[in-house]
Amino acid sequence: MRSSFIRPVALFGVYASLSSPAFAYLDAATGSIIIQAVIGAVATWIMYSKMFAAKAKAFFIRVAKGRGAQETE
Amino acid sequence: MTAASADPGSFRDPGSRVFIDGQRVLRAIYKRSANDYAAARDKGVLDYFISKGWLVESQEVDVASHAAGVGADHLLEHPKLPFVSYPYEWPFALHRKAALLQLDVMLEALERDFTLSDATAYNIQFLGSEPKFIDHLSLRPYVNGELWSGHRQFCMQFLNPIIMWSRLGLAPNSWFRGSLEGIAPEDLSRLLRWRDNLSLTILSHVTAQGAAQRRATETDGANVAKTGKLSKTSFKAMLLGLRDFIAKASVPTEKTVWDTYDKVNSYQTDEADKKRRFVMRMVEGCKPKLLYDLGCNTGDYSAAALEAGAEYVIGFDFDHGALERAVKRSSDGNLPYLPLWLDATNPSPAQGWNQQERRGFSDRARGDAVIALAFIHHLAIARNIPLESVVDWIMAVAPVGIIEFPPKSDPMVQRLLSRREDIFPNYTGDRFIAEIQKRGRIVEREQLSPGGRLMVWYDRS
Repeated sequence: MRSSFIRPVALFGVYASLSSPAFAYLDAATGSIIIQAVIGAVATWIMYSKMFAAKAKAFFIRVAKGRGAQETE
Repeated sequence: MTAASADPGSFRDPGSRVFIDGQRVLRAIYKRSANDYAAARDKGVLDYFISKGWLVESQEVDVASHAAGVGADHLLEHPKLPFVSYPYEWPFALHRKAALLQLDVMLEALERDFTLSDATAYNIQFLGSEPKFIDHLSLRPYVNGELWSGHRQFCMQFLNPIIMWSRLGLAPNSWFRGSLEGIAPEDLSRLLRWRDNLSLTILSHVTAQGAAQRRATETDGANVAKTGKLSKTSFKAMLLGLRDFIAKASVPTEKTVWDTYDKVNSYQTDEADKKRRFVMRMVEGCKPKLLYDLGCNTGDYSAAALEAGAEYVIGFDFDHGALERAVKRSSDGNLPYLPLWLDATNPSPAQGWNQQERRGFSDRARGDAVIALAFIHHLAIARNIPLESVVDWIMAVAPVGIIEFPPKSDPMVQRLLSRREDIFPNYTGDRFIAEIQKRGRIVEREQLSPGGRLMVWYDRS
C-alpha cells in the first residue's frame, strides 16, 4: 500500500529531475553530483515514510491489544 | 636504516603512502593529511573502528625509525595480511559483506562527524571471510552539507556488481577485472530491463545517475563548479537505503554444476576419507602457515587442512555456486579460510597503472603448502594445457603440496573426453610422476582405489 504510493511519485520525481539543464563539465563524477540531491531527498522521504509506517503499525497493534484485553475481562 | 619500497598500488592519495618491508607494513602520513589523521585519532574514531574489528589495527611508530618515515609527519605500522585479494576475485557473498562494511563504516563515521574521502573496494580486505577496512587515511572530518564524494565510486565498485549478480544473474568478476574502477552506471543501465527500475535504488543510483552522466559528458560548455548540498539526514537516508537494498540482495538460486559436486561426485565415500587423511598427514608433517587449495570446491579439504593445523587457507575455485557454499562454511565456522574466484587458465594479471597497481596471481600466491585435488584434469584435458606445464604451475605455488591425478579411466575424465578426440597421449600416471620428480621428491603416494586416482605428496624444498 505504502510502496504503491511512493514508487510512482518517486519515479516521477527522479525522472523530472533529469529534464533540468545538465551541468556541462567532464568530471567523471558529474552524474553523481547532479543526482545526489534528488536521491537524498527521495531517500529521506522513504526513511521518514518507513518510520511513520512503523509508528502507525505499533499504534494500531497497541490499540488492538488493548481492545483484546478489554474483551477478555 | 632499512631501505623502503613504496607499494605500487598506494600512489593515489598524495597525503600518504604505504611501504612494505618484508613482513612489515608501514604507512607514512604527510603534511597534507596529517591534520585529518590527528583528528580521527584524537577523537577516538580510529580506536572505535579498530575495537569493533572493522578497521585493521595500527600503531604509531617513530618516523625516524624507518626509511619509510622520511618526510612524513606520522608513521603507522599495520599487521601484514596473509593475502591481498581484489574485488574481481570475490564471490558474491564476500562482495556483499564488503559493501555492507563500507556503508557501516560511513554511517558510524557520520555519527561521529567524520566521513570517508572515497569508497574504493580496494580499501577492503578479508581475514577469513570477515571484511576489514584497511585505509585509515580515508577517514576525515565531515563538513556539514557536503556531497558524498565517494558516491559514484561506491556505485561502480560495490552496488553495480551486486546488481549485476542479483538482478541479471551475471557474475561481474571478468567485467570488473577488465575495468578496475568497476561497472559504470551508464553502462549497467543499458543492460538492465525496464522492470528493474521498479526498484528505487536501481532507478536512482543506476538509471538516473547513468542518464545524468551521459548528458553531462555529451554537453559541451564551460566548467561548472562542483557545488551542491546534501543534508546529513539525506546523506544517512541514502546510505541506509543502499544498505537495505544490498543486505537483501541474493544470487539467483540456480544450481551450478560444481555446487553439488561434493555431494554427487564420482568418488566413493571411503575414497574421500582416504583423501582427507592424506591431506591431514601432509599438513601435520609440514605445518603450513599459509596453504592454498586450488580447485577448493565447497571447501571440504580446506577444512581438513585447517583441522590438521594449517593456520590460514586460501581456496580458489572457478564455480560461483561452490564458492558461495565455501564462504558459508567459513562464515559459519568463523574459519581462517578465504575462498576466492580464480580462472586458473587465465589468473588475475598484474594490471592498473604501470601494470603494478594490482598484482598478478602468481606474484601474490606463494604459500607454504598447496593442495590441488580433482583439479589437474580440468586444465590438462578440458583446456589442453600440457601436463608438464600444469605440474610446473602448481608446484611453483608452494614448496610442499599434494596433487591428485585422475587417470583417463576415471568417470570425470571420461566425461571430459566424451565429446572430443583424445589428443592427450602424455596424460598418464607415469608421466605425471616423472614430471613431479623432475621438480622435487615424492614424500608419499597413494592410489585411492585399484587403477583409480593417484595422490602424490611432493616436496621441492
